[in-house]
Amino acid sequence: MTMRAMKHSSFSIFGDRQALRSGLVSLTIALPLFMHAQLDRTKPPAPAAPPQVQVAAHSTFTLSNGLRVIVVENRKLPKVDVQMRFDHAPLSQGDKAGVIDLFGELLEAGTTKRSKAQIDELVDNHGATLHTSPEGLYAGMLKKHMGPMMELIAEVVTSPAFPADELEKARTRMISGVQQRKDDPAAISETVGRAMTFGRSHPYGEVTTEASLRKVNREQLMAYHAKFFRPENGYLVFVGDINEKEAQAIAKERFGKWKPAKKYNLVDDNGIEDIPGYGPAHFLTTPKTASGARRVVLVDRPNAAQSVIRVSFPLNLQPKDVRHMAAQVMNTILGGGVFNARLMQNLREDKGWTYGSYSTLESDRFNGHFHTTANVRTDVTDSAIAETLKEIERMRMGRVTAEELDLAKKYMAGSFARSLEDPRTVARFALNTYLNELPKDHYATYLKRLEAITAEDVQAAAEAFLYPDNAVIMVVGDKRKLFAKLEALSWANNPKVIELDHNAERYIEEFERVSNMQSQDVIERHLTAIGGREAIGRIIDMRMDINAEMMGIPVEITQWYGRDGLFRSVAKSNGATLQEEAFDGERAVRRSAMGEQELEDRDLGEMQFNGYPVPELHYARTAERVVLAGRTRIDGKPVLKLVVMMPDGGSVGDYYDEATWLKLRRVEQKQMDDRSFTITTDYSDHQATGGVQFPRTIVQSGGPNGDVRLTVKSIALNTNLKPEFFATNLPERKEVPYVEPVEENPLQGEPGDE
Amino acid sequence: MRTLSIPIAFMLAATATAQRSNDQRNAIAYTEFTLDNGLHVILHQDRSTPIVCVSVMYHVGSKNEDPTRRGFAHFFEHLLFEGSANIGRGEFSKHVEKAGGVLNANTTADRTYYYEVLPSNQLELGLWLESERMLHAKVDQKGVDTQREVVKEERRQRYENQPYGTILLEVLDRAYDKHPYKWPTIGFMEDLNAASEADYQAFYKKFYVPNNAVLVVAGDIDPENAKALVRKYFAEIPRGAQVVQPDVKDPGLTSEVRAVIHDRIQLPAVVLGYRIPATGAPDYYAVDLVNRLLSNGNSSRLNKSLKDEQQKAVGTGAFSLPFEQGGLAILYAIANMGVEAQALEEAMTNEVRRIQQDGVPKAEFDKLMAQLETELVNDRSRIAGIASDLARCHMLLGDTKLVNTEIDRYLALTPDDLKRAAQNYFTPQARVVLHYLPAGQKQQ
Repeated sequence: MTMRAMKHSSFSIFGDRQALRSGLVSLTIALPLFMHAQLDRTKPPAPAAPPQVQVAAHSTFTLSNGLRVIVVENRKLPKVDVQMRFDHAPLSQGDKAGVIDLFGELLEAGTTKRSKAQIDELVDNHGATLHTSPEGLYAGMLKKHMGPMMELIAEVVTSPAFPADELEKARTRMISGVQQRKDDPAAISETVGRAMTFGRSHPYGEVTTEASLRKVNREQLMAYHAKFFRPENGYLVFVGDINEKEAQAIAKERFGKWKPAKKYNLVDDNGIEDIPGYGPAHFLTTPKTASGARRVVLVDRPNAAQSVIRVSFPLNLQPKDVRHMAAQVMNTILGGGVFNARLMQNLREDKGWTYGSYSTLESDRFNGHFHTTANVRTDVTDSAIAETLKEIERMRMGRVTAEELDLAKKYMAGSFARSLEDPRTVARFALNTYLNELPKDHYATYLKRLEAITAEDVQAAAEAFLYPDNAVIMVVGDKRKLFAKLEALSWANNPKVIELDHNAERYIEEFERVSNMQSQDVIERHLTAIGGREAIGRIIDMRMDINAEMMGIPVEITQWYGRDGLFRSVAKSNGATLQEEAFDGERAVRRSAMGEQELEDRDLGEMQFNGYPVPELHYARTAERVVLAGRTRIDGKPVLKLVVMMPDGGSVGDYYDEATWLKLRRVEQKQMDDRSFTITTDYSDHQATGGVQFPRTIVQSGGPNGDVRLTVKSIALNTNLKPEFFATNLPERKEVPYVEPVEENPLQGEPGDE
Repeated sequence: MRTLSIPIAFMLAATATAQRSNDQRNAIAYTEFTLDNGLHVILHQDRSTPIVCVSVMYHVGSKNEDPTRRGFAHFFEHLLFEGSANIGRGEFSKHVEKAGGVLNANTTADRTYYYEVLPSNQLELGLWLESERMLHAKVDQKGVDTQREVVKEERRQRYENQPYGTILLEVLDRAYDKHPYKWPTIGFMEDLNAASEADYQAFYKKFYVPNNAVLVVAGDIDPENAKALVRKYFAEIPRGAQVVQPDVKDPGLTSEVRAVIHDRIQLPAVVLGYRIPATGAPDYYAVDLVNRLLSNGNSSRLNKSLKDEQQKAVGTGAFSLPFEQGGLAILYAIANMGVEAQALEEAMTNEVRRIQQDGVPKAEFDKLMAQLETELVNDRSRIAGIASDLARCHMLLGDTKLVNTEIDRYLALTPDDLKRAAQNYFTPQARVVLHYLPAGQKQQ
């Protein structure tokens, strides 16, 4: 499709359009005609001479207590940004995960002199901003408000009070936030993804939970402050309408009397230190790197609109690593920010699967990591994972093109130049240079070093920092639609899909307790709701005709339920029989193109258990035990779940609608071809036959055939089916003596002895 | 764990309100002129960083859509990155990124905005690209099909798979009766599926014409050179028919509209929506200050009262949707554990009532002014922000100079104006009240 096509002659189109505009015709047409002759639109115009990119100067000094001060003077606007940063290795929080976040939040929630309300008012009254974090704080203000703001900043950093009531308020809010995470797929992906990438005991992988937040106390916050917020650990950064001399005066006035602590020994050899008041902490001394087989991790989000995919692994990439620049160019080409990156072009522009896919290669002095993200529609989840892995592998396997390399380098050079528009960038560079022990001219030589990167460097970086074989593949999405597909993605010798909950713990269905009811009550209500014991009892036998579609093939299924659990079924497609099953009360058989197979053990048990029009009527005999698990929800509807245990040890989960008492769902594990499937069967569209409600639409998902939709065409009751009709026609069973397996110990007699 | 995430739609709306002008010292100098074809051009020189922003704002948004093509304006924005008569599919972004630049676009109910930020020696490239887009954009079927899928995923990601993601959609639908503001800019997939070639042709011809656009060139430029280059690339683009903005009478709410929305959330939320005057109208500024009084900073009314003192909420906010034909003020709060929506709503309504009954103390009013002053300075820190503000003032407020003088409209207000605005526009008899409840919670 060409809009306002230029193929023929643009002038006539312009002319026609202009003619409608009456008086302007001659003037407006003349100019374009003239200009057009001059202008070659077919090629992009050449750039003018490149501008000089200068990193502005900064100055630094150190107070006698060790506090380092960085000043970036920029008089363009009458404002000053202030940052304080306290540096230490990341440490574990253990069973009180969340303590460090709470510390960051509560740092500005009261000092020994001021309440939270007073602090809030002071900040707002001066039109300023103040954000505290576990590492320090950021503040922004107009120059004229520096006096009171600096007084406050010094107080917040040196004498926070962590008031008990503010701790309780913040704890409650944060627990609310943890609850909220259950329904925030992006947050789940990030939290669980980090836990699986680094491990739950790694400082970058710890998961804050309600239980861990409840373990936080004020002493821990005080201890954390005393340990890390020390002048000799700290940086004070000024950016904006301020010069070095002014900064010196302010720094001395506000922080000059702050006493340094005794220089502490960072850690013991294992990185463990007992911090008084905080407890034992594990400092991150050795980075975790990618290891182990590729894993697929699934967090279920029933009926999710999309799947959130995250492919990740930890790595050791420090900012001072000489390969750092090549690694960033490599990631830019793969998926780092440019629209022309491979992931974006493949998953979005070619396939239309996602609004955007990105990769992040995070260098970190203590522990780097890599991850990709993409939110894709459910039915392409497995394909999107495969394409993502393919793109990661492709970076390792071959050279990037000259065009890709050029684009990435130009883009990074442009980003570098653009970033300098914000004077805070210069301060960030200065601080990074200290924290990451970078060469003094690291940023001054940035563009030169970038220009020198070759396709070989990029491939070497991909080989050094991309570990697709050790990746954690995280999916937050609809398990029922995804499980089988993800299992099929599991690469040889890999564990199957690991199912976790939103806290990165083993997936456990959550139930509300139901105290006013027993499992038997649920069964009785169900039986009453579908017609009552009497009506159900009048069903002697039943024939059910079903239309289904399996992997695109229409299938007609007929089932017969006889007296005392006898059962037979035939599945046909286009007149040809696909499969037959029969149970004669003792033995069961299945015949298909695969041949004849006697169903034994668990398969036989299932046949005995399920071979009734209404299995619930017979639980007293057929079920070993029925347990009311509790109340949960299906599509928002409150349902009660019964776990029904069969005599052979298997079990199924049945879900009954608490309003209608109809059975809405059954979930069961099935073993097929040595693979385990979690089959979910949904029942809907109930209608009565002979006074008993039967579902007319049955949807099975999670099995090897994908979603199977069954439509019940007709139900016929009491057609006088004879027991012979259910004959299995199996050959007589040979009486083989049962052999008890025993250890080969001659002292215990002969094998085979009873 | 991070703090609660607020829906992106809110963030967008919030940033949209945060564009202000400046005091005398930091006034933005600009020149403006109009080409014969009706294209309005604004140039702003700032040589402090060697970058340039080239942007075009078209006066077309979702309110200009055919009611059977809801979402078309935004979808069309996606399509206009596909190429032109001289730019092949996928090449548009390549030209920008190869030059070391960034590009993007966004669509609102009122306008569509495209921009590139480039090294300043690539000014001409930016003008070439935007003129190509205006003169003879081109999309092939693969582009249409792909972008339709991309937009569907955008909708899922930003609205459907996001807790509270549908708030804006639900409020708009109830706050308007006939006006096209009733539907969200993201639109509806069935409408986009129905779009045909004729729709693209007609939309492009009708709205993407120079006399319906403003071009802004800001940054490290020589204004005379920039002016010549603008003429070189844009003067030949033919003028289109005059664009007539919709004129739909939608008198506003006459009663309270209540709804319970079941969402996949753990904590209930309450949303209050009020119809407010058009962006730029005198009362708009008073309403906006009321929103700031309610939610700007930790000491603001909703934050202090609902979060700190009563502990009923974990997050609160109040912001204006600055629509040119009359927008909305939206207040929201997300409940703390164990707090019912009804109790939260009463607490919110109570804060509004306090302003209506007791007015605003002078000290608190001064605080709002101090916050405004800082914000204005901060808004001057990025050339891309200045460019979009220039375009906004010209196109949606009707006068570029408001980029420097819009602040006066705030400064002219008094505490009584806020009280009056709260009384006139935040009326309990004409508002939308939404209770967002966890999907499983049954309505009693």
